[in-house]
This record gives sequence, structure tokens and C-alpha cells, in this order.
Amino acid sequence: MSSDDPRAISANPTVNTQARTEVPRRDVERRSPHSARRASDRGNNRPLPASVLTPPTPPPPPHLDDYGAIVGQSQLDTLRYLAKEFKGKTIKMVNSTAVGGGVAEMLNRLVPLLSELEVLTHWDVITGGNDFFEVTKAFHNALHGAPYQLTQAAKDIFLMYNEQNRRRMQFGEDLVVIHDPQPAALVLSRPHTPAHWVWRCHIDLSNPNPGVWEFLRPFVAQYDTAIFSSQSFTQQLPIPQYLFYPCIDPLSEKNKELADSQVQQICDEFGIDRSRPIVTQVSRFDRLKDPVGVVQAYKLAKKYIDCQLVLAGGGASDDPEGATVLQEVKEAAGNDPDIIILDLPPWCAVQINAIQRASTIIVQKSLKEGFGLTVTEALWKAKPTIASAVGGIPNQILHKLTGVLVHSIEGCAFQIRYLLTHPEFARSIGSSGREHVKENFLMTNDVKRWLLLFRILEQAKGQLSHAA
Amino acid sequence: MATAENLAEKSALRKPQKPFYFNNSEHLLRIGRQRASDLSALLQALQTVPDDCIFQHTFRTLQEHHFIRQGFSNDFAHWSLFACNEPALAEQFASVDVREFTAIEGLRRRMVEILDEFLQSHNMSGSRPAHEPFYFCAADIVVLPTAFCADTLKAFLDGLNQVSVHSIHHHFIEARLRLHRMSNDFSQWLESEIGLREAADAIERIDIYANTMEGVRRQIARIVSQSIH
Repeated sequence: MSSDDPRAISANPTVNTQARTEVPRRDVERRSPHSARRASDRGNNRPLPASVLTPPTPPPPPHLDDYGAIVGQSQLDTLRYLAKEFKGKTIKMVNSTAVGGGVAEMLNRLVPLLSELEVLTHWDVITGGNDFFEVTKAFHNALHGAPYQLTQAAKDIFLMYNEQNRRRMQFGEDLVVIHDPQPAALVLSRPHTPAHWVWRCHIDLSNPNPGVWEFLRPFVAQYDTAIFSSQSFTQQLPIPQYLFYPCIDPLSEKNKELADSQVQQICDEFGIDRSRPIVTQVSRFDRLKDPVGVVQAYKLAKKYIDCQLVLAGGGASDDPEGATVLQEVKEAAGNDPDIIILDLPPWCAVQINAIQRASTIIVQKSLKEGFGLTVTEALWKAKPTIASAVGGIPNQILHKLTGVLVHSIEGCAFQIRYLLTHPEFARSIGSSGREHVKENFLMTNDVKRWLLLFRILEQAKGQLSHAA
Repeated sequence: MATAENLAEKSALRKPQKPFYFNNSEHLLRIGRQRASDLSALLQALQTVPDDCIFQHTFRTLQEHHFIRQGFSNDFAHWSLFACNEPALAEQFASVDVREFTAIEGLRRRMVEILDEFLQSHNMSGSRPAHEPFYFCAADIVVLPTAFCADTLKAFLDGLNQVSVHSIHHHFIEARLRLHRMSNDFSQWLESEIGLREAADAIERIDIYANTMEGVRRQIARIVSQSIH
């Protein structure tokens, strides 16, 4: 999911974090204003403007009716109709963190919207010590395919904290949704509850470490159903599997409409010239996002056509590897005044929004990717988008229809040239890209999917009881 | 210019006995167990997957991509081109008009025929690994009522203009699988309840592959408006 929004901390009215003993270190650092003291480069290492150095006050969360102008009244009618039969029923969402991370960001929006539809939704966060989160972090990496030797001690820690949480939590709701592997073993409570149990897996399980997956699989198999973010992220399981795409909130600071004057002001602050073509990649300074490859592609394209390159992201000040990658990017950029490197603090959602809106083309040249919500954000802004065919990106970019898929630096360079010189084609794929997002990847789609799933599970239970 | 038949049709307009209920179908995508990593595996799977998988990758995918005016017709064509680099096969798959079928079985047979013939004349293509597998999916469908129910042509137009494009797809494209005939809910109602046979025929002839679903909506509305005035 997209980068974390620290404002979620105060914007979330429903999360139960009572027993969380410790906020993960990365979350603390993300809230620190000191992390904003970093440089913005346009050849001359100019500092970031003062306006981005402190987190802004979070806006109030939107209401369902606010989405009407975007998705249409008929979509809201559908949500209300679907929700009607669940009035009085309850849902519990359980994950491992209340702040930071895409899952928390998504739950921050989903939970209030479901509750506004009178499907009362509780959000619980599991607790654990450092040892638990070290184990689950290692599991997370191993499930993404990293080498890992699963030990009995790691299994014991995982099971002990899951058991502690299981005893602490009540599961009196009608639908229990467990997010990701960390709390997966809570399903052991299932036989004692009337609820439907759903495992929502947000990570890519296509190539998991066999030891960790074989350990977790028996827990997953006990759920009524599992949900994945892409067909390619799944594993063979004895339970039904559904596809829920990750979603963006069109009313969030990162995606809401902005006045052109605000876009202009932010571009002026960063030294971005809107009178010339702007090619942008928004991502952490991480090798898997290949920012150096983007610089190389830009340089190849620049031989033929004038443009600027904006690399906007974060992660360099609280991640040693990020700082190294940032340095590599600066070296690759050399003294080209048209390459603008912005290492932004995590609360710069409006600034990212404005940069995306000002861009002529958006690039996401990742070498590996989860779903790639930065691509979703670009498509939502109707931007012609060039992205690598990795992870969940092909779900979003249908080649030459909703964007352009590339497989190399040279391919990326060519597509930059092509899109900059064929504005009508660029506009057409940008416009289809926005429709694709509206159809599949907005928060209201997520609400609808949960209501549809609830209905399908209830129907299945009804049929089973009837047959019995 | 109004033809004699046209004028006769207008004069024969009648008040419907049954109103038109606009419904909407919503779908939840279920990930199937079968996948194909090359064209031979696709052929085998096409013959055995449940009907709802064929429905998903043809009728439903057209709905999912309703906003694309050209270049997308079904998932088999898309995969053949972008994962298997077989443009000739992709063109053949893409040429299949789902509206020529009133049952999934016929559509499945047509897809199998196309692929089988292609593999017979392209021996090497069958086992060449695709860039990415084809994942067979299916949809759990929930049909929901909308707030629109038309007992006049004006109310029909109001509903038509306000329902979601999914409702248009439900009545205009999926309908033939329900009706088991080469028609759609709109044409059926306009002809049987109002007596607008020519308009019903014109609506049935709208090319869904050269239009977005919004474009289809506009064309239906234009045809019905012309019938009224």
C-alpha cells in the first residue's frame, strides 16, 4: 500500500490499541519533525521549504456522501442497499499496528465508512513484545521469498503472543477479519464463535519461504475464506480465495483535487518549472524502486526531447540504505539542473499530490513491487504512466490502454520520448487509467467488496443451515 | 426523415402493462485453482474450467473494462498478445463477439476451436512459456434492485440516464444468457411493452466493441428519444 500517513494517529476514532505495549521504532521516527531536516537538490543542495518541515493538522475524515461527486450517487445507493441487511451486525478487523503501514492507513478509512453504513466495525490491534515483532518481520520478509531458517524458538514466540491475544480478545462479532500473517493464529478461536472468519493477506505470497509458509498454512486453512490483492500473489489453499484490490482514498490529502494555484505554489517552492515537460517518479529511495535506472532513462530520453526529472520520495533519513541509495541517485544525476531530487518527510502528502498533478508523465520503474499504489495514485490523476510489469502493476496498467508497461531502462526511455511527443495518445491512456481506478481501486470499491463478501458468506451459511 | 414504418410505429406506441425494473449486478472476484503457463495448458483448461470462469474472462471482463473504446475484448485475447506474444491468435480471440452467444457452452466451444486450430498450425507455440500465467477466476454475482422503475418512456429514459454502467451491462449484455435469445432486456421491453420494434432492433445492433459502456448508454437513449419525438 502507499506510504504511511502519520496523521492517521489522530484521525482514527475507532481503533482499540489499549494493550499495545510498544510503538514500532520506525513509527516513532516517522513522527519526528527532525526527520524533515533534509535536503532538496537542484544541483545546489537547496534545503526543503519551511512549509514542509512540520506535520500539518489532519483534516477531519470524509463522510460517505462526500464520495458521491466522485463515484456517483448510484454507487452510494448500492452501498446503502447492501449495508441495509447488515444493520445491527458487527465486524471485527484485527491487524498488528494502529499507525504506519498501508493496512492501518486503509483501515483508518474503511472502519468509519462501514460504521457510517451502520455496519458497526471494531478495529483491534494485537499486542506483542519486541521479540514477537522481530519474528513477524522476519516472517514477512521470508514470505516475500527472502532466505530464512525457521526455528522452534521463532514458532514458539509467534504462537505464545497469538495465544495471549486470543485470550484477551472477544470474538462476538458476525464477521472477523484478520489482516496479514502476524495475528493469523487467532483463528484457533473460530470453533467457539458464530462468526465468519476471513484472512486478508496484503502481501505477495507467490514465492514464499517454504518453511514459514508450511508453518502458517494450517492456520490459514482454518478460515472460511482468504483474500489476496492480486491473482499472482496467491497460494493453493483448500478454502475459497477472493481478489480485493488495494485501494486509494480519492479524498485523502494525497489524492484530493487541488486548485491549480496550490499546485503552482508547491512547484515554485521546489523549483519545478511547469512550462516544460515534467517526468516524475514518487517512491522511497530504495534500490527496488530503481531510481538510478530512472535517471538513466531520463538521460537517454533527454538526448531527444527537453524535460525535467523529479524524484520525490523519502526514507533516506531514517534508513541507512535509503541514504546510500539517495547518494547513488545524486551521483547518477551529476550536476544536471533539470533533475530535482526531493527527500521529503512522510507527511508531505499534499506536496506529493501537487507534484503528481503537475507532472506530464509519471514513471514507476520498480524492479520488484507489491501492488504499487503510487501507480494507482498517478492513474487517478489521469497521468500517462510508464511502469515496470512487476507485482500488482499489470493489474493496473493494461499495456497501451491504461498506461505503458516497460521491462528495461531503454524501454522506459523510449516510452518517455513517445508519450512526450504523442500528447493525444498520452491523454487517452491517462483518461482510461483514471476510469480504471474509479472502477476498481477506490475506497468505495473496498467498502462494496466487504459488504458483498459478507452477503455471500451469510448466504452460504444460510444454505448450509437449510441443507442441515 | 421519418419512414412510413417509423410513423406507423410511433402511432402504435402503447402504455406498458409491465414496468421496466432497472437492476444492477455486482460481482466479487473469486480466484480459481486453475492456471495456464502456456497455450497448450490454456487449451486444456478452457475445456474443463467451470462455466463461470468462461463468463468471467469474456462477458465480465468486458464490463470491467467498459471505459476502453478499443483494443480490449476479452482476457484470452489480452493474454495471448501480452503474455504469449501471439498477435494473430489475439486478433482471433478478440474477434469473438460475446453477444453472438446465448449460452456459455457455445462461447467456450468457439474459444476452444480458435485455440485448437491455432496450435495445430503453430506447433511450437503451445509449449512456449508465457511471460506470466493465466489465472482463471470467476465471479460471485449479486443482483440488486435500483431506485428506478419505468412505466413510461420518459421514466425509462430517466432511469437509463441515471443508473450505473453496470446496470446497462446487466440489461444489455448479460441479458442474453438469462433470456437465451439474441436480444437484451431493453429491446425486449421496448418491443413487447411499448411496441417500438424498430427501436428495439436498432438498440440490438449497437456495436459494444467500438463503444464504451457510456457510449452504449448514450446511443440507446438517442434511439429511444428519436422514437418518442
